[in-house]
Amino acid sequence: MPNSLTLEEIQSQLCAEIQTIMSLRPGSVTTQTHLPALGMDSLRFVSLLLVIEQKFGVNLMKGGLKPEDTKTVPNFAAVIFARRSA
Amino acid sequence: MSWSLPYSRQRRYLTGMDWILGALDHGARKRIGLGGFSQAILDLGGDLSPEILLPLLNQISKRLPLIHGRVARDWLNLAPYWKVPRKSDPPPIPLKVIDFPEEDLNTAERLLDDHVNKPFDSESQHLRFLLIRLGSRRSLLGMVFDHRLLDAFGAEALFRLIDLTFRGQLNEFAPLIKQTEPAHLDHWKRRLTSGRTLNHFLYRLNERTVCALQMPPTGVTRRIKFLHDSLTLEETADFNRRAVEEAGIPMTLPSAAARAIAAMRTAIPSPPLPGQDWLLFTSASARLPGQEWEKLFFNQFSMMTFSADSKSTDPPTQIALVLRDQVFEQMKLQIPFAMQDAGALGRICPHWLGSRLMNLLAGGRFCSFYFACLRDTGFSGESFLGLPVTNLYHKPLVFAPPGLNICMTTFAGRFNLVISYVEDALSDRVAARILHEFKALLVKN
Repeated sequence: MPNSLTLEEIQSQLCAEIQTIMSLRPGSVTTQTHLPALGMDSLRFVSLLLVIEQKFGVNLMKGGLKPEDTKTVPNFAAVIFARRSA
Repeated sequence: MSWSLPYSRQRRYLTGMDWILGALDHGARKRIGLGGFSQAILDLGGDLSPEILLPLLNQISKRLPLIHGRVARDWLNLAPYWKVPRKSDPPPIPLKVIDFPEEDLNTAERLLDDHVNKPFDSESQHLRFLLIRLGSRRSLLGMVFDHRLLDAFGAEALFRLIDLTFRGQLNEFAPLIKQTEPAHLDHWKRRLTSGRTLNHFLYRLNERTVCALQMPPTGVTRRIKFLHDSLTLEETADFNRRAVEEAGIPMTLPSAAARAIAAMRTAIPSPPLPGQDWLLFTSASARLPGQEWEKLFFNQFSMMTFSADSKSTDPPTQIALVLRDQVFEQMKLQIPFAMQDAGALGRICPHWLGSRLMNLLAGGRFCSFYFACLRDTGFSGESFLGLPVTNLYHKPLVFAPPGLNICMTTFAGRFNLVISYVEDALSDRVAARILHEFKALLVKN
């Protein structure tokens, strides 16, 4: 898939999606946010993976994510970026 | 944009899940004489005085009159609602106190079992407390709660509210609690589409027969029995780590459910339960972080299913991957939301009719057992009324059918495991074996 989005764009869209899923105010999720501290449960996490598949065309659902990948937005975005580039 | 009819402040219209729980409650009362109520138990490291507890319960009872509500129906829009009483002088919440000179845990557990195996005194009573004082260094406080009023997380949060009341903070937190709710008679197109999606999904599940316990005959009052065990802090952390590795994403539910299925497979003696699939119903929280006060009362969850071939001899790690994919599939189909929407459509039926319709589903064998893995706790404190909290566990409800519930709750980083079952549907020996196998599979490397 052609990688038309930059890493920064993926980060910013990811922040917005997490805010929507967690019903948080705009601007409350940033690149500094520690994601586990948001209290996202399994099902909301799956919702996020579905959104990522829809929006970025990357399927992260069947394995391939390490716990540290999902700790911060930059880590998460880097995995998406790498998969899109592959 | 959503719009709702103006509604009385004395009414909290039932949501789809509230209605489903109400219908299951009705069915269980008919079948075994007991409705859908559970017990949450605080294990305290000290002597809890009823003279301290009772006034706190009275304060909460006056401040939150919905505790004494009951189900009614609005004949104008046909929606069922929880009628919040106007009375400013509500009846006291029952508190029974039993003193033991020393620790006799077996007797205490038996008394707690008796406490939950008793119907409420009236249609407007939904809470009941039992305080067992074991010498001067330990107390057990059991709160039986009606699932039409509270779910497990809400019950734990209510314990926290009692503690906050003790600290003089009731007036700060009570206004955050939502006591009313409109009927939400809107989004019909979405709800009808959701209903159709759910129907297709359930129809597909019904193509195969479900392994289920044989329920005892209707009309005879039965007891619900409980078995409880815990994992250590290290065992819990170790399981969580392995579950995440198994799933490949931060998700423990499929791994835990897979072990429950494997435990059933091993523990049920030959010949096995008839049926092609193990089918589990499991709850999925609908509370977002920060909503623990707003959504303290009523049923703030939805449901999903897990199914696994009963003939399969796959190890739990393999079953976990199958169940994980089922979570993805159901989330893609929006099944948890469809369940809420379809429940909202079903509200037009009275509970007795809803209960009959549910029983028609697969001839009443609609699942093998309920399974819950709750990793969040509504009681995050370390003390209760000044006493250290050693544990918080549940003796959870079990509807009949299926007559069996396997439940994991979390307190202070440790899993509590509880099996609840209807007497005569499962023998004590098999229930003990299920718990033993389940624990062994959770801690096994």
